[in-house]
Amino acid sequence: MMASSDVLAVQTRGLTKRYRRVTALRGASITVPEGRISALIGPNGAGKTTLLRLLAGLARPGSGDVEVLGGRPAQHPSFLANVGFLAQEIPLYRRFTVGEHVAAGAHLNSRWDGAYVRQRLASLDIPLGQRVGALSGGQRAQLALSLTLAKRPRLLLLDEPVAALDPLARRHFLAQLAEAVADGGLTVVLSSHLLADLEQTCDHLILLAAASVQLCGDIDTLLAEHQVLIGPRKDTTAIERDHTLVHAVRTARQTTLLIRRSGPVIDPAFEAADVGLEELVLGYMSQPAGPRPGRLTTIGEQQ
Amino acid sequence: MTWLVWRQHRNQVYIAAAALAVFAALLLVTGLQIAGQYRSARAACAASHSCTNLASNLTLGSPLLSLLVTLTVVVPCLLGVFWGGPLVARELETGTNQFAWMQGVSRRRWLAVKVGWVLLAAAAWAGAVSALVTWWSSPANALNQQNFQPGQFDIQGIVPVGYALFAVALGIAAGALIRRTVPAMAVTVAVFTFLRLVIGQDLRSHYLAAVTIIGRFGQHARTPTGSYWLISRGLVGRDGQLLSAPPLESGLSVNGVPVSEMPAACRPLALQNPVKMLSCLTEHGYRGFFTSYQPAGRYWAFQGIETGIYLLIAAALIAVTAIVVLRRDA
Repeated sequence: MMASSDVLAVQTRGLTKRYRRVTALRGASITVPEGRISALIGPNGAGKTTLLRLLAGLARPGSGDVEVLGGRPAQHPSFLANVGFLAQEIPLYRRFTVGEHVAAGAHLNSRWDGAYVRQRLASLDIPLGQRVGALSGGQRAQLALSLTLAKRPRLLLLDEPVAALDPLARRHFLAQLAEAVADGGLTVVLSSHLLADLEQTCDHLILLAAASVQLCGDIDTLLAEHQVLIGPRKDTTAIERDHTLVHAVRTARQTTLLIRRSGPVIDPAFEAADVGLEELVLGYMSQPAGPRPGRLTTIGEQQ
Repeated sequence: MTWLVWRQHRNQVYIAAAALAVFAALLLVTGLQIAGQYRSARAACAASHSCTNLASNLTLGSPLLSLLVTLTVVVPCLLGVFWGGPLVARELETGTNQFAWMQGVSRRRWLAVKVGWVLLAAAAWAGAVSALVTWWSSPANALNQQNFQPGQFDIQGIVPVGYALFAVALGIAAGALIRRTVPAMAVTVAVFTFLRLVIGQDLRSHYLAAVTIIGRFGQHARTPTGSYWLISRGLVGRDGQLLSAPPLESGLSVNGVPVSEMPAACRPLALQNPVKMLSCLTEHGYRGFFTSYQPAGRYWAFQGIETGIYLLIAAALIAVTAIVVLRRDA
C-alpha cells in the first residue's frame, strides 16, 4: 500500500467516538504518510468532521489511538504549533478587523510568518482594515486559511475548505495548497463531500461512510488494486470467492463488478477494465452500511 | 493572550470605566457636601443645650442619592452577568474557541489569562465602588451607627469585592457548563441572588455567637454601644428561656416585644403605666428583657468571614470551569 520508508504524519487505530447515542466514528484506522495531500471524502454525516477534530485534539477519542506527527494530540504549544486546523464554520471574531486577526496570530504563536500572511491577503484583495463581519464567505475562508498557513504547520487539517469558495477561487486555492506541499515539510488532510473538488490535487484518499473507514491509501495504489469486470449475466460466486466484491450492478443481460483484486482475474467471460477514482468512490459509497466486505448491492435486477 | 483579552473586552472596560467615572464624580461632590453638613450640624449640636439626639433630627443628603448608593448592591451581580457570563459562553457559542485553541497557546493558558484578567477587573471595579460608598457613607455611619446593618453591611467594606469575584466566577462557570450566553446570564442572576439572600439572612448572624444581655425588671440594663448589629430582643421566661418575637413593622412594642405577645392582663398597662406593666409581667412569670447582638467591634471580623466564604465558592467555581474547559471537547 505504501513504501515502508514513508514516515507517517497521521496514524489512528480503532478510533471510535460517540456523541450520546450517535456513533460518529467507529473503529477508524487510517494512515497518512508525510507529504501527502489526503482527500477525506464521505457523504454528509459520515464522520469527517469528527475525525479531523480528533486529529486536531479538539475532541477526545472514546476509544482507540491517535498519533499525529509522532505524538498524541495535546493542548500543548509544542503540538499546536505544528498543526493547523480550519473548522468548517470558519470561526473568526466578527468584530475584529482582518489586521487584528493577523495581530492575534502573531501574539498567540511562537512561529508566525506575518509577512507571508500580509502578502497573501494583499494578493487576495482582502483589506487589513476591514471588519471580518463585513467580509464575504469566500474572503472569510481565505483569511482563515491564510492565518492557518502563517503558523507554518507541518500538518494542515481542513474541514470542507472549498465549500465557501467559487470555482475559480477553489482551483486557485487548491493549486496554492499543492505548491505549499511541494515546498516540503507539509502534509494536508482536507475533507469534502464532493470528490470532484479534490480529485486533481490529492494523491491520498480516506473514504468514510456511515462512521466507518471504507478506504484509505495512496490513490494510485488504490486504483491499481481495484478493477471493473464487465461480462454476461452469470454466476459470480467464483470471482467473489477469489476477490473482494465491492459493488455489483446486474441487468438482464450484463453484470458489472467492482472488485478489489487478490491476484489476476482469469474468468475469460469477463472483460477487465481499469477503474477511475470517481467510480471507485461511488462503488464504496453505495455499499449499504454495515460490515464489509462481501456485501453487494444489486441495482436494476429483474425479478 | 493578554493582547487578545484586551481586544475582546476593551469595549466592556470603556463602558464600565465611564460608568464608574460618573458614579465617582457624583459621590465625590455630594460626599463632600454631606461631610460638611454633618460637621456643621455636630458643631451646632455641641453648642446648643437642647440638642440631645442629633440622629433623630438630621437627614444627610437627599433620599434619591441614598437610594442610588443603596442600589450599588447590584454591582457585583451586573459584573457577573455582563463580564462573567459571556466570557467563555460566547466563545463556545460562536465557535471562536476553535480558532483560539488551535493557535500556539495551550487551552489552560487561554483560560487562565482570560479568567485572571476578568477577576482582577471585577475586584478592582467592585472595590472602587465599595470604597466610594464606604467613604460617602462615613458621616451616616457615624450618625446612625448603621454600617453593621443588613443593607449597609452589603455595600461597604470588602464584602462587595467577594461578591463580585463570586458573581463573575459563577457567570464563567455557568457559561462553560451551559455553553450559551443568555441562559448563562440568567442562571448567574438566579443563583447569585439566591445565595446572597440565604447567606445574608440565615447564615451571617451565626458567624460568631451573638452576645446576649439580660436585664431583670426594675434593674438598669446595660445597652450595647456603637454600631452594633441587633439580632433579637424579647422577654426572659420563668426558667431563663429567651422568648423573642419577630420584629414588628408597626404597632406598639416594649424592648422589641410586641405588646400583642404579652399576657392579656398586662397589655393595657403598656401605655398607661410601664412600672405596673413590669410587675404584671413578673406576676405572669417573666423575669426580664434580653437583647442579643453582634458587637460593633466584630464588624471587620464579619466582613472578613463573609468575604472568605464567597472567595471559597468563587475558587470552587473556577475549578469547575477549568475541569469543564480542559476536559470537554471543543
